[in-house]
Amino acid sequence: MQTTESKGLLILFYACIAVFSAICLVPFVLAVSGSLSTESRIAAEGYSFWPRGFTFETYEFLFGSKAEQILRAYSMSVVVTVLGTLTAVLVTTAYAYVISVKGFKLKNFFAFFAYFTMLFSGGTLPWYLLSTKYYHLGDTLLGLFIPYVLSVFLMFLMANYFRSIPHEIVESAQIDGAGHLRIFFSIMIPLGRVGLITISLFYALQFWNDFYLPLMLVSDQDLYTIQYLMYNMMANIQFLASGNAAQVGGAIIAPPLETAKMAMTCLTVLPIAILYPFLQRFFVKGIVVGSVKG
Amino acid sequence: MKKKKGWLSLLLSAVFLLSACSQGNNESANSGDSGNSGSGGTAPAATADSGTGGTTLAPAKLKIVLYGDESNRMKELAKTDFYDVIKKEINAEVEFQFLPWTEYGGGKTDLMLSTGEDFATYTDANYMVKSVAKGLYADLTPYVGAAADLSKTVDEASFTAFQLDSKQYAIPVGNKPNSAEFYSVLVRQDLLEEAGMKQVTSLAELEQFYDKVHALHPELIGYASTDARRMLQYDFTDKNLYWQNDFIALDESAQNDQIINWFESDEFKAYAKLMRGWYEKGIIPKYAATNVPQLQSDWNSGKAMFWAGTAARPFEGAATISQAVPDAKLVNYFLGTGRPKISRGTYSTAFFVSAAAKDPERYVMFFNLLQKNQELYDLFAYGIKGTDYTLDDNGRLTKISTDSLIPDWLLMNKNFIRFDNTVPDDFIAKYKAWDDGAIISKGAGFNFDNTPVKNEETKLNGVFTEYLAPIGSGFSDYDTAFPKALERLKAAGIDKYIAEYQKQFSEWYAKSK
Repeated sequence: MQTTESKGLLILFYACIAVFSAICLVPFVLAVSGSLSTESRIAAEGYSFWPRGFTFETYEFLFGSKAEQILRAYSMSVVVTVLGTLTAVLVTTAYAYVISVKGFKLKNFFAFFAYFTMLFSGGTLPWYLLSTKYYHLGDTLLGLFIPYVLSVFLMFLMANYFRSIPHEIVESAQIDGAGHLRIFFSIMIPLGRVGLITISLFYALQFWNDFYLPLMLVSDQDLYTIQYLMYNMMANIQFLASGNAAQVGGAIIAPPLETAKMAMTCLTVLPIAILYPFLQRFFVKGIVVGSVKG
Repeated sequence: MKKKKGWLSLLLSAVFLLSACSQGNNESANSGDSGNSGSGGTAPAATADSGTGGTTLAPAKLKIVLYGDESNRMKELAKTDFYDVIKKEINAEVEFQFLPWTEYGGGKTDLMLSTGEDFATYTDANYMVKSVAKGLYADLTPYVGAAADLSKTVDEASFTAFQLDSKQYAIPVGNKPNSAEFYSVLVRQDLLEEAGMKQVTSLAELEQFYDKVHALHPELIGYASTDARRMLQYDFTDKNLYWQNDFIALDESAQNDQIINWFESDEFKAYAKLMRGWYEKGIIPKYAATNVPQLQSDWNSGKAMFWAGTAARPFEGAATISQAVPDAKLVNYFLGTGRPKISRGTYSTAFFVSAAAKDPERYVMFFNLLQKNQELYDLFAYGIKGTDYTLDDNGRLTKISTDSLIPDWLLMNKNFIRFDNTVPDDFIAKYKAWDDGAIISKGAGFNFDNTPVKNEETKLNGVFTEYLAPIGSGFSDYDTAFPKALERLKAAGIDKYIAEYQKQFSEWYAKSK
């Protein structure tokens, strides 16, 4: 079927993609190799693609001195990602169902209500006030995911997906006496599995990568997530290197070890890097499916 | 049917509300006791006996924000020994909150101030001026008395540095010799001796040092920074210059209120030419133009020959370098003599209290504890004797735990500081005598209110980064690049900015002298 010309093109495309992905891999390879190098050689010679003086010392050091902190942050990240994704998916699909269901008078109002927040937001200050003073999310586990449980974009994606499910199925269920809860849980959710997986992945990735909520709402170290721990470390190093520290009073603090930074990066990226190849097909599939009907 | 849909949406909104409101133990606990601390805490009688413990004081809750990483040991002590001692001394429960350095002077600190949280943290003069204009800092003037012990160990000039319209908006901490910051050259003495030299007393000798070491170790860079205007002033001017910011300098040897427009001065021209020479010669590496942070890591890993010095850098910096070069030795040299060292004041930083604080006086009493006596200083800076550190017969310190507590640069006070075994006696003597004969800058305590020239200042900062910093560091040639840069400066409003600065400075100068 394929002509030699299109085969040639295909090879060219694959070659381009291969080069592009190789470029994307470079920083990651440097991080891994940096984390496995010895500190003194990194200081003296800089980074390389192959570890300089191969050693696990950095990981031993990290797990020796900060093991407790890292493990706690790691488990906090897992808890937040799991709880956050579950809550977010429940809320998002429920909202999506409401605005996609046929015959509900206020559905346009609710759709606009959500859409409005995509265009206008109150800004950081009111958001912070609302979260801390009124919802009391400061220093709580809930504070680490509740503000993110409804992503309007993903909600519309899900709503579109629900709309693509033939209405006849819903109708026949209604004739059999099913209520909305029944339809939602027994028909829409199972049929909307692909969309569901897609938005779950998006949410999971967002919750895993987030450091903004802990930065804003959390001061208790027990609630630090791994990303925030990492952010904290990097932010402090950058600030001290930028020279602003001189203004504060000539603060000279030896920055954490280079290799430790790299090891932390690897630890943070690892779970996502392992899971991503298995799950990424849902990303593509889900977005395409949801976009057919708009 | 429709009813059911309505119920479903109602249920949804209920879930939203419930999940958002369900947890609030901490906050409500705080607001719950606001009545108690508000009534008893501000009683002025409490000021007098800050030394005898908190028996007469009503209980209070304080929140101290610090920037940087919280170590495990700090976390532990904050709940045990620190907590007990502070409770005993001033009957207050102190909670320490750590924020990343990015939030210093902005970010979350701003949010916390604007939303009326009750806390205290440290500040610099710039951030103070901005925040006081918005009414975010508490006026601490009535409570300065509560810092009686601190006032004895911290310079009086440090207090004036944090006053606006003779009101005290922040309490300074720290007392360290910090005159002539960056006016000396911090030289790798080990390299100097390797090159067969003993000391560096002039620019010619410094360049000679570079040449000799460069011949021995071509992989080393010369100067690990891009700004040498202070250390080189002995060569390009007869004045004793002290910079207020990037644009404005003062001549400390003249007894008048004249400010100097630095970039349009002959001194800048002479300085830019010196730096151009350094850049061409390779004393400042070529990559410095695009990668400034690399310079500092090069210095830290022992790959540079000299750096800008301060009184404390020979021992602070040696600790870092010795990881890469164990026998590195650092010595400060001045490239000229006969000009008094200038100091901005000896403080490390200063604590402010948020305007919404219920009990500002108790905060001041807490700051007082930080610098009250050797015993408390040891506790906050070094921890528990025997567990965190040991002292030998000479009072030299050996740390057992490397975890930092309340940052030691913040507390550093020459009356209390302890040195470790690696610091030679003659160095300590030199360090303590560093400020002898130093003068306080005639601009110390002046805080520029930038509101009338805010736009100009923003634009000028842009021009500075794009055009003037490269000239000042020798990356661009003065003769070819300066005319264009000057044009940009004028367009950005340098004249208006200088005039406004001069006006405010003269007014302040007339009032304060």
